Amino acid sequence: MANYFNTLPLREQLNQLGVCEFMDNSEFSDGVNALKGKKIVIVGCGAQGLNQGLNLRDSGLDVSYALRKEAIEQKRDSWKNATSNNFNVGTYEELLPTADLVINLTPDKQHTAVINAVMPLMKQGATLSYSHGFNIVEEGMQIRKDITVIMVAPKSPGSEVRSEYVRGFGVPTLIAVHPENDPEGKGLAWAKAYCVGTGGHRAGVLLSSFVAEVKSDLMGEQTILCGLLQTGSILSFDKMVEKGIDAGYASKLVQYGVEVITEALKHGGVSGMMDRLSNVAKVKAFELSEELKDIMRPLFQKHQDDIMSGEFSRTMMEDWANGDANLLKWRAETGETAFEKTPAGDVKIGEQEYFDNYLLMVAFVRAGVELAFETMVEAGIKPESAYYESLHETPLIANTIARKKLFEMNRVISDTAEYGCYLFDQACKPLLADFMKKIDTDVVGKNYNEGKDGSVDNQQLVAINEVLRNHPVEIVGTKLRKAMTAMKAIKTA
Amino acid sequence: MEPLVRITGLNLRYQQKQVLNNLGWTIQHGENWLLGGASGSGKTSLAKIIAEMQSAAGELKIDFNKKSRLPAEVLFVESWYRFKNIEGLSNFYYQQRYTSLQANETVTVKAELQHYGKDKNLEFEEAEKLMEALNFSALKNSQLLELSSGEHKKLQLVKALWLKPQLLIIDQPYTGLDALSRRKLNGLLDEAVAAGVQLILICNDKELPASINCYAEIENGQLKRLDSQDEISVSYQRQSKDLPDFLQVRPGYTSDEILRMIDVSIRYGDKQVLKNINWEVRAGEKWLLQGPNGSGKSTLLSLINGDHPQSYANNFYLFGNKRGSGESIWDIKQHTGIISPEFHWYFDATSTVWQSIASGFYDSVGLYRQLPFSKSAKVDELIEFFELTEHKNDLLSALPLGKQRLVLLARTIIKNPELLILDEPCQGLDQQQTAYFNQLVDELSVNGMTIIYVGHFASALPSCLEKRIELNEGEVVAIETLAESCLA
Repeated sequence: MANYFNTLPLREQLNQLGVCEFMDNSEFSDGVNALKGKKIVIVGCGAQGLNQGLNLRDSGLDVSYALRKEAIEQKRDSWKNATSNNFNVGTYEELLPTADLVINLTPDKQHTAVINAVMPLMKQGATLSYSHGFNIVEEGMQIRKDITVIMVAPKSPGSEVRSEYVRGFGVPTLIAVHPENDPEGKGLAWAKAYCVGTGGHRAGVLLSSFVAEVKSDLMGEQTILCGLLQTGSILSFDKMVEKGIDAGYASKLVQYGVEVITEALKHGGVSGMMDRLSNVAKVKAFELSEELKDIMRPLFQKHQDDIMSGEFSRTMMEDWANGDANLLKWRAETGETAFEKTPAGDVKIGEQEYFDNYLLMVAFVRAGVELAFETMVEAGIKPESAYYESLHETPLIANTIARKKLFEMNRVISDTAEYGCYLFDQACKPLLADFMKKIDTDVVGKNYNEGKDGSVDNQQLVAINEVLRNHPVEIVGTKLRKAMTAMKAIKTA
Repeated sequence: MEPLVRITGLNLRYQQKQVLNNLGWTIQHGENWLLGGASGSGKTSLAKIIAEMQSAAGELKIDFNKKSRLPAEVLFVESWYRFKNIEGLSNFYYQQRYTSLQANETVTVKAELQHYGKDKNLEFEEAEKLMEALNFSALKNSQLLELSSGEHKKLQLVKALWLKPQLLIIDQPYTGLDALSRRKLNGLLDEAVAAGVQLILICNDKELPASINCYAEIENGQLKRLDSQDEISVSYQRQSKDLPDFLQVRPGYTSDEILRMIDVSIRYGDKQVLKNINWEVRAGEKWLLQGPNGSGKSTLLSLINGDHPQSYANNFYLFGNKRGSGESIWDIKQHTGIISPEFHWYFDATSTVWQSIASGFYDSVGLYRQLPFSKSAKVDELIEFFELTEHKNDLLSALPLGKQRLVLLARTIIKNPELLILDEPCQGLDQQQTAYFNQLVDELSVNGMTIIYVGHFASALPSCLEKRIELNEGEVVAIETLAESCLA
C-alpha cells in the first residue's frame, strides 16, 4: 500500500490539509435522524468502543459489537465489556453483512488487519467510520468504492466521552469525510449524526479532513503534548535532585505541577498562563522560553517534515514489523528514570506555589505550544486545527501525568503517540544539555520571587505582554474559546 | 485531671459571616455530648476544628488519657463521605456506578478495610464482628463504587468503631440508616463508650445512645449548654405560601401510564439486584418506595430515570413508550425530576445556585446553555419562593447541606415534571429541615404531579403519599395503599 498523501498532487495535498471549519451549532439541528433505525456495528470494545457505544445507544440508536471469534470464545475483556452492559455481540461474519454503519474503534496498529477482515463482509453502500486517519493516509488503505468513509474523533479519553455525555454535555470532536469514498454524498450527514449521538455537538465540532487530522495529530502528540512534557519533566526532576532539593518534593512538584500550570491554558491561553506569574518571574519565564524556542525549533521542524514526507510512519511501521523493538526499549528506559521511580512526597504544595517554584515548566509549555503551532501552520495546516492539536490538548495530557506520571501518559495515549513521544524525547534531551547546565533552583524547586523586590522595567514588561498576546495561537484561541462560551471547560480530574 | 478538650476564644469567619464568636467549650473525661441546633450554626466547623481538619483563631487543647490503651486521637466521621477510585479521582458521575467497566477502578470493601486495619494496627476479626452487627457482611466483596449512600455511611462507622479513638465525633450518625441499623448503632456506640471512647454526636435526632449525658447547641457563634435534648431550639416554622403560577397547573401528561414493569430483573455477574419486578404507576399517584439498605431501590429508580445500561435488556414502559424503542435518555429525563443523595454527591461543585436550578430545564449536571427570558424568569421566581434570593450567586457547595437540598429540589421541579422522584431527599437533614422539606412536597403535590418518594422513617414523610411498594433483596414484598399498611 502506498502512502495516500504522497500519491496526491501538491494542489490536492494543500487542499486537503486546508480543510478546517468550526461548525455552528445550527448545523446539528437534525440530531441523530440520519442514523435512526440504521444498524450500527462497533468493531472493538475497549474504552473508546464501549463508551461511545453506550452514548449512541442512550441517544436512541441501534448498537451492537462485532468481535473476533477468539475474543468471544475466550470471553476476553472486550466481550465482557459488551455483554455485561447488555449489548448484542457477534462475530464479524454474523453482524457485519447487515450493518449500515461500521465503526472501527480498534487500536491503530491493528487497522490494516481489521479492515482487511471487515471490508469483504460489508454490504454494498455501507459506511465505515474511523477515529484516526493513520490507516487511510499513512498506510494508504484502499476502501471499496461503494463504501462511504467518515471520521468521528472525540478529543478526549473514552471515560470522559461517557461521563461528559451523562452530565448532559460532550467533548470537543473532530469530524471528516474521505473525499475518495463519498459515493452517495451522505458522508457528512452521517458523521454529524454520529457526532450528535456521542454528545460531541454540544462541545464544539471541527470539520477537518483525514489528511489534516493525521498530519496535525501526529505533530502535536510527538512534540508539545507528550514529547516535551516528558522531556521537561525528567530534566526538571533531575536538576532539582542534583541541586539538593528533597526528592519527594521534586517528584510531587513535577508530577502535579504540569497539570496545575497547563490548567491555566484552558481559560486564558498562553498569556493567561504567564499572567499567573509575578512580573519579575514572567520576564524570566519569557526569556527562558525564547531561548528554548531557538534551541528546539530545528527539532520541531524535523518532526513536521518527517510527518509530511511519510518518513515518520515508514520508520514506525518498520518497528512494528520488528516486534516493537524500539518502542519496548524506550518504554523500559522511561520506566527506569529517577522521576518515575521516586514517589511524590507527603508535602503540601499550594496552587500558586506550583507556578512560583516551577517557572521552568511554564517556560517549557509556552515554548512548546507556540513552536508546535507555528511549525504546523508553516507546513500548511490551518490555525484552528493547529490550535486543537497543540494548546487545547495540552491540559488533557498533563492530567494523565498527574495521575500516574509518565507511565500513565504513555499508557493512555495511542501506540503511535507513544512511539513519537519517545522519538522526540531521545533527540530533545541532548539538545538541551547546555541549556540545562545554566539552570538553577531559582527557576525550578524554589520560589523565584524570593529575595527580589519585584520591580521590573515597565517598557520591557509592556513589550513582553504584547508579544505574548499577539501570537497567532492566542488570536485563534480567543476566537475558538469564545465560540465555546456556552460550554464549560472539560473536567479532566 | 485536665479536661479532655478545652477550647477558649475560638473565632471563625466564613466570608462576611462570623460563624464562631469567642466560643469556649470544656469536655471533661467521661462526658458524651450531643451537639444540636439549627443548620448553618457552625456545628460541623466546630467539629472539624477539634479534629484539626480546619484551622481557626483561638486556643484548642486536647489532653488524652495517657494510661488508656485506646489511640490518642480524635476521629471525625463526616456527614458525607466522598470516595475516590484507585487513581485518586473523585469525579465520576453517579450513573457510572451502573456501567460495568467503571466499577473495577475502585477497591472492594474488604480491601479497603484490610488496608485501614494494617495502617492502624487493628485485628481484622474485630471488623468482621462490627460488619456482622451492622448487617454489612454481605457487602464485603462489593466495589466501593457500588455501595449505596447508606452503605457508605456504615463503612465509615465500622472504621470508627473498630479504631475506638479516645474522642469520636460523628456528624449526622444516622444518615441513610434504616430503623434496625439505627438501634444497632446505638448499642455499638454504648459499647465503645464502655471501652473508654468519648462521643460527640452532631444531630437533632431523638433516639440516642444511652451514654449521651451532655447537651449543647451553638447560638450566635457561642456554645450554649443545655440540660436536656428537649431544650434544643427549633428553627422557625415556614409560612405556607402560594406556589409560583407555573407550578399551579397540572403537568402536561403525554400518557396516563407513567411506568409499567413486567418481570424486570437486573444482575451483576452472580449478584441478583432486582428480581421479577412487576409495578405500575399511573399519572398523579403518590408512591412511597421502601426497603432496607441495599434492597435495590436506587437501581429500580435508575431504570425509571433512563440511567441503567441494563434497561435495554428488560421489558418495561415509561410514559407510555416501550423502553429501548429508539428513544434517547434525554427524551425520558424530560418527563422526570430526580433528587437523590448520590446525585447530590456528584453534582457540579462549580455551579452557582441560580445555574444549578436553571440546569433542571435541560436535565444536565451544570448549565451549558443560555436560557431564554421566559425560562430565566421562572428560575428567579422559584428562587424567591424558596427564599434563596440572597444566595442566588453563591456556589452551591458553599451553602449548608439543608439549603443545598432545597436548591436541588427547586432544580427538579423547575420544568413542572410529570414524575418527581425523591430518593431519600432528607438524608443528612435534621428533623426541622425534614419537616420543612416535606411540607414543600405536599404543597407541590396538590396539582397532580406524580411522586415516588424513598424514605425510611414513617414519622418523617410527606402526608400526600398514598401507596407503598416495598423491596427486600431485590424482590417486591408489598404493594398496597398506605391505609392498608397502617392497619397491618
